[in-house]
Amino acid sequence: MRRRKRMLEELERDIRDHIERETEDNLARGMSPQQARLAAMRQFGNVTRVKEETRDVWGFVWLEQLLQDSRFALRRLRKSPAFTIVAILTLALGIGASTSIFSVVNTVLLGHLPYKDPGRLAMIWGANTRRGINQMPISPGDFFEWKQKNTAFADIAPSYDSQVTLTGEGNPLFLFGYAFSANYFSILGLSPELGRTFTSEEDRPGAPKVVVLSDKLWRTTFRADPGILGKAVTLNGEPYTVIGVMPTAFDFPTKVQVWIPIALPQSAAADYQHRYIRVMGRLKPGVSTDQARAQMTALALQIAAEQPATDAGNSVNIKPLRKQLAGDVQTPLLVLLGAVGFVLLIACANVASLLLARATARYKEIAACAALGASHARLLRQFLTESFLLSLAGGALGIAFALSCTKFLVSIFPNDIANLSIPHVESIPVNLPVLFFALFATLLTGLLFGVLPAMQSARANAADVLKESSRGASAGTRSARLRRVFVVAQIALSLVLLTGAGLFIESFERAARGSLGFQPDHVLGMEVFLAANHYPPNQPDKQRAFVRDVLERMKSLPGVVSVGAASTLPLTGFWGETDFFVEGRPTPKPGETPNADNRFITPGYFSTLRVPLVSGRDFTAADREGGRRVVIVDETLARHFLGGRPLGKRLNLGTPEKPEWWDIIGVAANVKAFGLERPDLPTIYRPYGQHPWPLLAFALRTAGDPSALIHVAEQTVWDVDRDQPIFRVLPVSTLAFQSVALRRVSTWLLAGFAALAVVLAAIGVYGVMAYSVARRTHEIGTRMALGAQPKDVLQLVLGEGARLTVLGIVIGLFAALALTRLMAGFLFGVGPSDPFTFATVVVVLTFVALAACYIPAHRAMRIDPMVALKYE
Amino acid sequence: MSTKDSRDRVELLQGTLDLLILRTLLRGPVHGHAIAKAIEMDSDDVLQVEQGSLYPALHRLIKRAWIAAEEGTSENNRRAKFYRLTAEGRRQLAVETRKWDKLAGAIARILRPSEQEG
Repeated sequence: MRRRKRMLEELERDIRDHIERETEDNLARGMSPQQARLAAMRQFGNVTRVKEETRDVWGFVWLEQLLQDSRFALRRLRKSPAFTIVAILTLALGIGASTSIFSVVNTVLLGHLPYKDPGRLAMIWGANTRRGINQMPISPGDFFEWKQKNTAFADIAPSYDSQVTLTGEGNPLFLFGYAFSANYFSILGLSPELGRTFTSEEDRPGAPKVVVLSDKLWRTTFRADPGILGKAVTLNGEPYTVIGVMPTAFDFPTKVQVWIPIALPQSAAADYQHRYIRVMGRLKPGVSTDQARAQMTALALQIAAEQPATDAGNSVNIKPLRKQLAGDVQTPLLVLLGAVGFVLLIACANVASLLLARATARYKEIAACAALGASHARLLRQFLTESFLLSLAGGALGIAFALSCTKFLVSIFPNDIANLSIPHVESIPVNLPVLFFALFATLLTGLLFGVLPAMQSARANAADVLKESSRGASAGTRSARLRRVFVVAQIALSLVLLTGAGLFIESFERAARGSLGFQPDHVLGMEVFLAANHYPPNQPDKQRAFVRDVLERMKSLPGVVSVGAASTLPLTGFWGETDFFVEGRPTPKPGETPNADNRFITPGYFSTLRVPLVSGRDFTAADREGGRRVVIVDETLARHFLGGRPLGKRLNLGTPEKPEWWDIIGVAANVKAFGLERPDLPTIYRPYGQHPWPLLAFALRTAGDPSALIHVAEQTVWDVDRDQPIFRVLPVSTLAFQSVALRRVSTWLLAGFAALAVVLAAIGVYGVMAYSVARRTHEIGTRMALGAQPKDVLQLVLGEGARLTVLGIVIGLFAALALTRLMAGFLFGVGPSDPFTFATVVVVLTFVALAACYIPAHRAMRIDPMVALKYE
Repeated sequence: MSTKDSRDRVELLQGTLDLLILRTLLRGPVHGHAIAKAIEMDSDDVLQVEQGSLYPALHRLIKRAWIAAEEGTSENNRRAKFYRLTAEGRRQLAVETRKWDKLAGAIARILRPSEQEG
């Protein structure tokens, strides 16, 4: 910097000396001092140009010019504060919103996975297309075959979920546990933060029992005890030695707190019947997911041929780990990202329009610059600098917006939805990738909204400085045309957004309005897990007694209207299934056995949840062990399998060889057990007394607010069994609320973006129409002077607005039809080309656009011809 | 800022001006004003160079290290910046002179073909 200054000073001095010498020579030639100097300067040429060209040679010029451009731009922006503030705010909104959504995408979809080379990891699920299942656990027999015969995976490892009860550390705790094989950890490539993971010796039946804890469990229940390694803990009544603690980053599967060795015995290789194994695999290098899928499917077919009784119809579904973790939140998130991108584009169009308008207003000034020698390139650079300064300011403010927006987004993020696979999100950081995105968005917007106006402005004709009536007539036309193009684009984009929002809203309405099949209000749900050591399966009386005692005590609690119990509550994500055979029907082929959701309930469960009985009767206390085997089926099962008249018929819940007949005594209404959007599975209810089940949930209908009874209910359970952990207790209406949380949040956000887009577009329309009216004031005055009525003027202006609107809507319709297809997977109960939604959106947008035109049109009507004719 | 036409004019002379400067400096270090005078005189006043255009040319040559600048005093004890050829500059002068001769010869042949055909 200083060197340049010095070089400049030297150059000036050299030039001065040069001219001095020439002057002296001229004096010597006999000119007068004045003449000598003049001649010398003329001979020298344009000093400024010489200095400039020399500085060009030095090559610092671009930096100097950039600084100079920036200074000028800042000065100009300061002089029109209204414009500057509006532009910066608009940009900040667009950039801020985009950055916020991107940071969610970054955390949820692109987030750092703590595993080695996570792109090569995948879950290998079983599938059965006939039954419509695309993600199911497999049998140990299947697993051993896969392990032996697969060629696509370098290593695969089995696991299954295993709930455990931890006792001896304060209140009994119910924990999600997971049984892993020893190589599972090495496949994932994640090391424990303390201690170690299982060796293959420990992964054998009969080996000493070891356990690995989660960081969260260690810190909360064990108070970060530094001597945790080697400590004995009691799980399910048995001692386990803690050998390691996994870091917080290891959240797989979500909410799992303990890992124990799976210890699959070799004898399990013969078991193809029970399906409970979940498999994780690491692809061999160079093998793609598709190749693996093909190979595993072929293997599955082979196994199905060898084991037709159990595996017929089974195939394989491979889900890359990222997809598994992101699951159901991917589509709505990407839709939101697209939507916010549209908002940004619309915002850019607005700012570009503003710039164009401003340039047209300053046309004479720009023409003067051109006349003074500003080159086209230089002017272009000047205007682009201005645009970039605006976008940088907008970007900085936008990042500030994003910081608070992301906090808000975390608070509404749909964590804890039992039936959807959504990663648990605790924080959405605005970190480096997000900042890069913001920077990129800033630069891109600067370019987008800056280029056209800059090119437009730089085209100023120097000669126009002298023209009298020149408000830059021709340049103004070009500018006006550009702005009209922007408005059409804005309307089109808004239409697409509105349509998307409309479809989302429709889907949400249908999902939320959908009948659950029961009444969740005023019901408290409590889930417990009866551990096998306390309630051995071969002593079902203990379970029955427990349930009976608890129910009796709960019924007499103040504020409780009725109680009931079931193996699982709806919407909790717990479920079970069973095969069944209909009496009198031919034995189905393997793989085509009917399958139903399997629940055990007490009398009073239906009435507590207010599930209507369509026909027949509910269970009573008489339906107990030793009595007649009775079931209640739901409408779906009755309709599909029993021709709608199920009462009196029998179901075989054993096998064709060893049948177990159960009488159907009632039909219950369908209950949406898995969430409002899942199809109804046929359901079989059996009395709890006849078949106790370790998973148990109590339902209490309360007179007042169910959450007020939480402690009392818990205490009731502990009064009966001090060591019984309670897994979860919450109002069932919360479950219902949570089950549509994802849909609710995405709909609100998308609707918000669409509304923002419409507002911005309306502002754009208003701006263009106001400008057009101003430009045509003279013309309108002439028309009125020649006899046009105010309503003719109104028609004229509205007509122009209508033309733009119609064009925008037509283009938008085509775009919307194409793009909504992409969100079809997330829609519920409404198709991507739903005509009602499209029609509504078109009407709304037309109305908004015409309303925006109305004010300028109204003003046009009021034009006084006398004034207008004088107006130039 | 520069308007279009003068930029063209300078560009036309750019390479040639550099060559003339180098040649002038062959005789020894000279200051800027003297270079301008020398070019005028040596060309019998045919070449009326806009004196200012010397300076960008001089700095270009300095950047290429074909000439170097030094402070010094001129005849009447005035300070001045003197420019001299570097070794590289001397070499370049020979190269550029050859190129110019070739060019001039080619143009001459085109303009006076009769002399060829004789």
